[in-house]
Amino acid sequence: MKRLRRAIQPAIVPILAILSAFLVGSVFMFITDLENLAHFPTDPGGTIVAGIVNVGNAYYAMIIGAFGDPTRIIAAIGSNDPKVIAAAIRPLTETLVAATPLIFTGLAVAVAFRSGVFNIGVEGQFILGAMGATVAVLVFRGLPPPILLVVAIGAGTLTGAAWGFIPGFLKARTGAHEVITTIMLNYVAAQLVLFGLRSDFLRAPGSDAPVSKVLWTFVRVPLIFDLPAIRLHYGIVIALIMAAVVSWFIFKTTKGFELRAAGFNLHAARYAGMSAGGSIMLAMALSGGLAGLGGSFEVLGTAGQMTTDLSAGFGFNAIALALLAGNRPLGIVLAALLFGALRTGGGLMQVKTGIPLDLIVFIQALVIMFVAAPLLVRSIFRMNARPLDEGSTI
Amino acid sequence: MTAAAPTVTPIVREMGEADRRNLRSARIRGAVIAALGLVCFAAASGSFGVIATFSFWLVKQGGEAFTIQTSVGMLWLLAGIASGVIGMVQMIKGPAFPWRKSLLILVPLYVAAIVAALLDGKVANMTNVFAGTLEYAVPVSLGAFAGILSERSGMLNIAIEGKFLIGACTAAICASIAFTATGSKEIGVIVGVLSAMLAGIGLGFLLAWLGIKHKVDQIIAGVVVNFGAIGITNFLFLRVLGNNPWLNTPPTIERIRIPVLAEIPVVGPLFFSGTPYLYFTLAVMLFLTYMLFRTRWGLRLRASGEKPSAAGTVGIDVIKIRYRAMLLAGALAGIAGSYLSLSTAGSFQLGMSAGKGFIALAAVIFGAWNPIGAFGAALVFGFSDAIQSLLSILGVDVPPQLLNSVPYLVTIIVVAGVVGRVRGPAAAGQPYDQG
Repeated sequence: MKRLRRAIQPAIVPILAILSAFLVGSVFMFITDLENLAHFPTDPGGTIVAGIVNVGNAYYAMIIGAFGDPTRIIAAIGSNDPKVIAAAIRPLTETLVAATPLIFTGLAVAVAFRSGVFNIGVEGQFILGAMGATVAVLVFRGLPPPILLVVAIGAGTLTGAAWGFIPGFLKARTGAHEVITTIMLNYVAAQLVLFGLRSDFLRAPGSDAPVSKVLWTFVRVPLIFDLPAIRLHYGIVIALIMAAVVSWFIFKTTKGFELRAAGFNLHAARYAGMSAGGSIMLAMALSGGLAGLGGSFEVLGTAGQMTTDLSAGFGFNAIALALLAGNRPLGIVLAALLFGALRTGGGLMQVKTGIPLDLIVFIQALVIMFVAAPLLVRSIFRMNARPLDEGSTI
Repeated sequence: MTAAAPTVTPIVREMGEADRRNLRSARIRGAVIAALGLVCFAAASGSFGVIATFSFWLVKQGGEAFTIQTSVGMLWLLAGIASGVIGMVQMIKGPAFPWRKSLLILVPLYVAAIVAALLDGKVANMTNVFAGTLEYAVPVSLGAFAGILSERSGMLNIAIEGKFLIGACTAAICASIAFTATGSKEIGVIVGVLSAMLAGIGLGFLLAWLGIKHKVDQIIAGVVVNFGAIGITNFLFLRVLGNNPWLNTPPTIERIRIPVLAEIPVVGPLFFSGTPYLYFTLAVMLFLTYMLFRTRWGLRLRASGEKPSAAGTVGIDVIKIRYRAMLLAGALAGIAGSYLSLSTAGSFQLGMSAGKGFIALAAVIFGAWNPIGAFGAALVFGFSDAIQSLLSILGVDVPPQLLNSVPYLVTIIVVAGVVGRVRGPAAAGQPYDQG
């Protein structure tokens, strides 16, 4: 019993935070439903009921959109027709596809967080990583596909690591605040991508828009299921492996210990003879590398070509993710699955009920707020206030 | 060195490892600047025949113009001579030479020569460039003032972008409603600006409340506001404004021509027939500078940002100061947001702040947490933006991404201390515990 409580303990605040965020989100949906509210003066009771029904429908569409319709899935399993099975499990696989980049970027933010640096630049490292992979594919297109895949992913990872190393280096050598430099480098990265995609070498022939040539004609991350319209690729497997590796690295190795020590107390770490500057640079490079790895899988596995909007805010979602997960790799996987589900489910919600997908962004902001201010959540749910430091290590 | 007699001149006697390094780097710097001068001469030699034409409107846009013509070679020559002289002086004088100030002369000369060379004989309308610069600088510097206020009081503020978005959206909606209700443009505009200000104050309060009461990391609080602002405004735009266009047709703010001054050639059309925002920005800049550096209030504010524990010891209510600074900052950023939707655009658009809030943050740093400096920084960033649009209108083949990156690169260079280290308030970002 006690062990169970210990296991659940760190999840209480995140779960309540998510509930609160959805609650506020539904109030927001309700008050922006002008068509419904127009009837309020004549029929207040009916308006409130209709409003609540609308909100319920929206969340129901979100759940079905994210996990699929259970009855359909059961029926499909019996049918043995690949097309029916694919249609039934597609929402679930799409959730995993959406979660893949989030796991990578969430891990990236967490590694930096654990080492005491706040990497807001994951967004930039992600898209430049994807860009590095794109360039590598087009440069080495003659290689056999399996080798090309490895080379491209390696190039993407290194590009991301290099882009993450810059703010780490600046922080270690000059004390430049990494939040400022990473914000600025995000914009520079976006401009670099735009610049690269305008060049004849990368741009898709005959296209005026800044999109690269289709990389899938040269190489593609292999798919897990051979079913029509299922996009789930091995990126998710690598993402889970990376979560385990990161967990092992930060909790079980000496270097990881040094990083965490630097994160807890830089002065103490320095006093104990560890290289604080080295820790910061290593953490930022690792963080950038993870982001770049995620970008490579996104462009080679999910998108198939480089575009300026490859990252749908993955780097920013990652900050929410890492906070929600308390920077624990397992938590990040779970939180990424949740956010992936929100994203795919939000898509169906938008189609079915006309409620914009951007509701998700708002809900995510609320989640960060409630997680970051645990007292707020506890006061909403009338829980006893407890010391802040419990479980929430940053 | 240690055995040197005390009679040697003081500078040599006290020379340690650090001084020697400074001397060496000063010499290298001088050599680099002088070498740049040679590059300028090389560029000059080939371009005396190319004429650069800069034109200015005399009274109003599209009216009579006044032009300055010069050869590109002359500009390069000037830049070359200046570089050569400054490089020499730097090499002779060593570390004592205030080389950072000399950049104020060198960089504009380089920029003028490079722009002239890029124009390649085409006529550049500088009034448009300067007007574009100001138009860009107004919201950026108002946002920067908000950043200065909050950071000087010890609250890190990366949420300017979110305040811009919310301010722009609120202003558009409230101004539209007030305009439809009363039919008066003026009332619509005033209601719009005031509502944006209130929205900004609300966000400022949220930031302060999260950061001070709940001790949420101030960067995370900023991320919450930026994120939430994108979510809310996109949601409102798609769900509410899309179906009800009348909610997104605010009246725009008219330009004010100041009676006599607007008639001055060249300067009049630029500075004295602008929107009220321009005058407001200039007034806030002067007022804020005075308040920050010349009043008791300013001293206390800065004390809370530099060393809150010491400020608290002498009886300053740090928490109250921080709350007030955040509310004031929110008001300024909200007003800046209303500029986006009420001044030129005449409606709210998706993500219309387009990173300007982060450029404002850059201006805070580039301007060394000083209102006048921040305004100068906003002008520099605005100029690079205006030049970029000038070049793209004239069809000059320069990648716009390069000029678009200028504010970000400049900021990185400045925070890294490559060209003159600036130092922010020491306690910005740290929560304060009132004991």
